[in-house]
Amino acid sequence: MSELAFLTIAEASRLIAQRKLSPVELTEAYLARIDALDSRLDSFVTLTAERARAEAKQAEAAIMSAGSRGRLHGIPYCLKDIFDTAGIRTTAMSKLLADNVPTRDSACQEKLVAAGGILLGKNATWEFAHGGPSWDILFPPARNPWDRTCSPAGSSSGSAAAVAAGFAPATLGSDTGGSIRGPAAACGIAGLKPTYGLVSRRGVLPNCFSHDHAGPLAWTAEDVAILLQAIAGHDAEDPASADVPIPDYASALTGDVEGLAIGVPARWLEDEMPLSAPTRAAFEAALDVFRGLGANVRPVTLPPLQQFDDCKRTIAVVELFTIHGKDLRTRPELFGASLRYRIIAGGLVRAEEYLLAMRLRTDLARSLQSVLSTVDLLMLPTSEPAGKLAPVPPASLFTRPSFTTPFNVGGNPALSICSGFNDAKLPFSLQIVGRLFDDATVLRAGDAYEKATPWRSMRPVL
Amino acid sequence: MTDPITDDDILRLARLAGLDLPPAYRTELIEAYGHVHAMVARLPGGRPHGDEPAHVFVPTVFQPKRP
Repeated sequence: MSELAFLTIAEASRLIAQRKLSPVELTEAYLARIDALDSRLDSFVTLTAERARAEAKQAEAAIMSAGSRGRLHGIPYCLKDIFDTAGIRTTAMSKLLADNVPTRDSACQEKLVAAGGILLGKNATWEFAHGGPSWDILFPPARNPWDRTCSPAGSSSGSAAAVAAGFAPATLGSDTGGSIRGPAAACGIAGLKPTYGLVSRRGVLPNCFSHDHAGPLAWTAEDVAILLQAIAGHDAEDPASADVPIPDYASALTGDVEGLAIGVPARWLEDEMPLSAPTRAAFEAALDVFRGLGANVRPVTLPPLQQFDDCKRTIAVVELFTIHGKDLRTRPELFGASLRYRIIAGGLVRAEEYLLAMRLRTDLARSLQSVLSTVDLLMLPTSEPAGKLAPVPPASLFTRPSFTTPFNVGGNPALSICSGFNDAKLPFSLQIVGRLFDDATVLRAGDAYEKATPWRSMRPVL
Repeated sequence: MTDPITDDDILRLARLAGLDLPPAYRTELIEAYGHVHAMVARLPGGRPHGDEPAHVFVPTVFQPKRP
C-alpha cells in the first residue's frame, strides 16, 4: 500500500494509462493510509471517502473502455479547506463557517473534476488562510510529518503535510504572502505560487484580494507542472484573471538549464535577514548544483525586504478588515485570537495610507521586473527549516521579515522545492522565482535540480 | 510634530470604524494598532500630485463581449 501511496502523479498516471494500475486500487491505498495515520498529523478536516470511491470506479470504467483522457484522470487529490466544493463543507477552519456548504465548486475544483481527478477530502489550513497556528478554532492545526512536534508552516499546512506523508499525490493551496511556499518548504515538497492571474481564485475564500494566488503542491516540480496545466487559464469570473496563452508546462521540463542567468538577492540574505549557517551552506550547495548544470549565478540588488513587507501587510490588514469587518463588529468571539489580532486594527487605517501602500506596490513590482529583465531567475531559500509547532505571538505577522512576500507583491511565479535536510532530518528549501508568466522556466529549473539531486528519494517515516 | 496617539484615541478611532469592542478585546486592539501604526508610518510618502493612486478603473473590463 505504501509503495502505491508514494508514487508521483507522473508515475501513477503512466501506469493508469497503461492499465497496469487501477484508480480504485490507488484511491484505496490513500484512504487506507489516511485512515491509519492521519490522526498523527491532522492534515485532513473533511474526508470524502465514499465520493472518492465512486469517482475512482467511474474513472476505472472510463479508462478501461476509452483510455485515459489525461494525466490527472484517475489521480486522487485534496484541497485546502478554503476552496469551495459543492455539497461538501468548506470551513476555512473558522467557527464562523462551521456549517458552510457551498452550492457551487470553485473554478479550480471544476477543472480538476473535468480532468478526471478523484477528491479525497479537504485539508487543514490556518483560519481564513491567515492567522495561525491556532488551537481555539474549528479544528486543531496540522503537524509536520518529518517531526510531529514541528510546524508544517502555514497556511496551506494540511495540504503540504498530506502530500509529504503520502496521503495524496496532489493538492491545491493558496498563497497571499507565502502560504503555498512556506508549507512546501517546511514539509520538503514542491509548491508553486503561479504568476498572479494565471489561476482563477473564483470560489476560493479570500485572504487579501490583491495578493491572493491559488496554486499546486505535490512531491515534485514535474507533478506541480502537471497540476498547473489543469488549473491555469482565463476565467472571466475572477477580475484579476489574465487572458494569456497557456504553454505546455510538462514539455518545458527539458532538464536543460545551461546558460540561464540566476540572480541572488545577496543583501537580503546577508544583511536584512541573515541565514543560519546550515541554511547558508545548503543554499550555496544548491547554487553549486546549478553552476554544475551550466547556469551562471550572480548577485542582484532588490529593494529592501521591509518595504515589501510593509507594503503587503498594510494592504492586507485593510482588505482583511473589509472582508471580516461585519463579523468583527458583531461576533468577534467567533474568531481565533491569532486571526482577530492580525486584522482588528485594519479598520483604523486611513484610505490615504492604503493608497500609499498600493502606490508603493507599483514601484516595488516595477523594480522587481526590472531586475528580472537582467536575469532569468532569482534564487534564495524559501525559509529556514521548520520550527516547533507552538503558539506564535500574533505580533510576529507585523514584525517578522519574509523571503516569500516580495513575490506576492510583484506577482511573479515562485516555486519552493526541497534542497536537502539538516541534522534534525528537517528539509531545507530553495525558492526559484521567474519573470511574469514564465512559470515554465521556474518549473524547468526546479525539475532539473530535483533530477540532479537525491532528495526526492527520501520520505518521512510516520 | 503631532502628539503620540493615546489608548483613548485608538478606542475612539475604533468606535468611528464601528468597532465597539467588549473590554476583553480592547487591549488586543491597542497593541495590534501599535504595530500597524508603525508599519504605516514607514511607507514612503511625498508622491507627485498626478501620481496614479493604483486603483485604475479599466472600462474595457465591463464592455459586453461580442459574439
